[in-house]
Amino acid sequence: MTHPTDPTTAPGQDESTVPGRRDFLGMVTTAGTVTGLAACAIPFVESLKPQDSAAAHQPVEVDLSKLAPGQQMTTVWQGKPVFILRRTPEELARLQNAALNETLRDAQSEALQQPPYARNWHRSVVPEYGVYVGICTHLGCVPAYMPPTPAPDQTGFYACPCHGSHFDLAGRVLKGAPAPYNLPVPPYVMPTPTTLRLGENPKGETFDFSTIEQI
Amino acid sequence: MSVCLPPALRPVVQRCAGVLAAGGLLWPVLTGVSAVVPEGRWSFTPPAQAESFAGAPAHAPAQDWSFRGALGHFDLAAVQRGYAVFAGVCASCHSLTQVHFSDLGGMGLTPEQVSALAASWQVVAGRDAEGRLTHRKALPDDALPAPYTGPEAARAANRGAVPPDLSRIVQVYPGGADRVYALLTGYASSASAPGAGAARAEAGFANPYAIGHRTAMPPPLRENAVVYADGTRPTAQQEARDVTTFLAWISSPHADDKRRLGVGVVLYLCFLACLLVILKRRIWSHVEK
Amino acid sequence: MKHPETQDHTSAPAAFSGGFAGWMEQRLPIFSAFRKEYVDFPMPRNLNWLWNFGAILVVVLLLMLATGTFLAMNYTPTSAEAFFSTEAIDRQLSGGWLLRGMHVTGASLFLAALYIHLFRGLYYGSYKAPRELLWLSGLVLLVMVMGTAFAGYVLPWGQMSYWGADVMTKAVGAIPVVGSALEHVLTGGDHLGDVFLHRVFVLHFIMAFLVVGVVGLHVACVHITKSGNPLGREPKGPQDTLPFHPYYTSKDLIGLIVFAMVFSALLFFWPGLLTEPANYAPADPLHTPADIEPEWYFLPFYGLLQSVPSKFGGLLAAASAILVLFALPWLDQSPVRSARFRPACRLGLAGLVMAFILLAAVGKHHATGEWMLIGRLAGLYYFGFFLVLLPLVSRREKAQLQAASPTTSEGDA
Repeated sequence: MTHPTDPTTAPGQDESTVPGRRDFLGMVTTAGTVTGLAACAIPFVESLKPQDSAAAHQPVEVDLSKLAPGQQMTTVWQGKPVFILRRTPEELARLQNAALNETLRDAQSEALQQPPYARNWHRSVVPEYGVYVGICTHLGCVPAYMPPTPAPDQTGFYACPCHGSHFDLAGRVLKGAPAPYNLPVPPYVMPTPTTLRLGENPKGETFDFSTIEQI
Repeated sequence: MSVCLPPALRPVVQRCAGVLAAGGLLWPVLTGVSAVVPEGRWSFTPPAQAESFAGAPAHAPAQDWSFRGALGHFDLAAVQRGYAVFAGVCASCHSLTQVHFSDLGGMGLTPEQVSALAASWQVVAGRDAEGRLTHRKALPDDALPAPYTGPEAARAANRGAVPPDLSRIVQVYPGGADRVYALLTGYASSASAPGAGAARAEAGFANPYAIGHRTAMPPPLRENAVVYADGTRPTAQQEARDVTTFLAWISSPHADDKRRLGVGVVLYLCFLACLLVILKRRIWSHVEK
Repeated sequence: MKHPETQDHTSAPAAFSGGFAGWMEQRLPIFSAFRKEYVDFPMPRNLNWLWNFGAILVVVLLLMLATGTFLAMNYTPTSAEAFFSTEAIDRQLSGGWLLRGMHVTGASLFLAALYIHLFRGLYYGSYKAPRELLWLSGLVLLVMVMGTAFAGYVLPWGQMSYWGADVMTKAVGAIPVVGSALEHVLTGGDHLGDVFLHRVFVLHFIMAFLVVGVVGLHVACVHITKSGNPLGREPKGPQDTLPFHPYYTSKDLIGLIVFAMVFSALLFFWPGLLTEPANYAPADPLHTPADIEPEWYFLPFYGLLQSVPSKFGGLLAAASAILVLFALPWLDQSPVRSARFRPACRLGLAGLVMAFILLAAVGKHHATGEWMLIGRLAGLYYFGFFLVLLPLVSRREKAQLQAASPTTSEGDA
């Protein structure tokens, strides 16, 4: 220690009288204390764990009887916007146009952004209805639906307001846009021609939405 | 306590044994030693004083609960039977607002059993296009549904009395589990007779453990009111005992975890204390007193 | 240290001359400062266990901040949701019951440790020159901690929270002239609701961190004036002191472990000892619970409040009970610090503790009949001790000392 030692207490002020034993004891005590402090952190970390909500995993029933051809509606499933659009025959024809498909980044839906039962040219269960999670795969903005204009050769599409990504009416991203993947397709079934149940796979299918490439 | 007090303050005085009560209040805090807290509450109540004014609830005899004391633990079989009594009898009037179905997993149920249990209840799903309430089967994340839409509906259905929420009843109700049990089993025999008609109900039912010795709750339990899954014979006594255990458990569902963790923590602290005392003595060994 | 231009920084010990520590040392000497204040810092060698409570309070404060921050992440400060969110923390949040348990137990034991710490200062004369600022900053901390604790108790919005807040705001309203305006500002409306609860939440949160700041000031005061000791005489030299580390670190750790045991016993085995059952019922503005009383640490002041028959007088008495402590360094002029050498003062202090406990009893039993009398006598003694007894005793002691040795004042040596 820095202060001058007093003759009566000199041996006491010297820390290294029994170096080996104290060091071992000190190490065990330090280890014990550190372990205890680390254990104290457990409830804090636990409390940060997201509370998985089974209610949010419930299938959502959607009534499509009021949806006219060429119209689009937005519903909420697991806190995410889901676009449901009813495509006209002309729009469906355009989806199959090979020349237009050249402008798409992933026309054949090769990336896992949809259940296997929706990996087809219309990216849906029934060609007429398209069902897409409305979250841009670039940075998560909600793309806006641009309805078809009366001008000839014009079709509707989705345009992301944030960085200008465009998607066609099957949720496929156009080349030259920052978004890397097509819009995801949620698992769904259509128990009747005009109702749709989001979050439930058709019989025999086991698609887990959390396995997709990117939301 | 020869002091003359207005009746409103007497329960206060009853809870406290005397001048030293406040000293006793401070002392356990400083020392961590207390012999007066069996139920997680102050219980200075001397039995003799409970009768000191007419209408005061009779002193509930102490029961031998498994969860009593600092090292008690819940008899989970009894808690599960108690849930059956709650669901079959109490739930038609009383709510458990703070409780979610998933909390009931703590009774010793698997997640599947909790889901099945939740599915046996109906909860409000929202309103349909015409504004009517729709219902669905409950999920583990749902809170237990209340039997009435609000206090007005409860009052209208129970002749002006609102059945209290039971989420914390054993903690909040003066007298705790003993008094809940005593109240459930303590109805005067005439009250539970088959002839107990509407006229009697207007005045309330005679029960020495209720305030004013009258309660608006009709005798809720009778033999075979529920069927126990484990084959225990559902006598009224047994039902009361089980449902009280359940209500005590639901009032502090983590009490067992708490005690279990506490034993570990105290053992760890003792171990560390030994090490530290040796270390400190060695460090200080050469310092003159 | 090799460069001639850095020679003026030689205050840095040789241990921090190289590597990162040396680099830091030349720019911001935190390592040597830490060493000076927390390793080599000279402590009187005769400190007893009552000197452990400073370290204990620091640790509990840190625990309160940590648990409080995590609780705040799960709490909703609205009158409709506050009770539900608190119950959800207790029931559904994983680990929530433990966090809340620690926060509740910590609040009570913080005040308990604070009272012991305060009594230590009172008994050993830690408020006397040159430690007046240490004492005053400590009292400021006491007031702030009480405010924080009260605000925190309101947050769960149970029956006791609501009616405690109601009584408190009404008491503020009793202040002449500005009272009703102040009450209105405090409640943020004509009843206790969302606005009030939100304010209390922000107040509780901010106060907790302000307390940390004042603790820094308080600790700085100790490091300037050095620690007092049971004898009340300043150490004459190195032979009377020991370095803080490892002597007092090891001693403080034992104190902390013992405290942690008390803490665990209350948290895990007797949780009901510190909580009022009525606060587990949601706030109901239409129904006051049968006996409302504050947390145990406010009971003495509550007793004083009730013992005075006037609304404002009671408030004044309760507030003065703390305010009088601020004047203590100037009320007690005796050159002798430690009550160990002041028999009259020691007797008076025993009476003071008795009066404090009696006032708590009065607070618990409501000041009516016999209790009213006890409350008034205890209150009278409390103020009499500080305002009459202590000045008289200290004057007599001064005279005695001067008669015994007119040239030195022994206690201050």
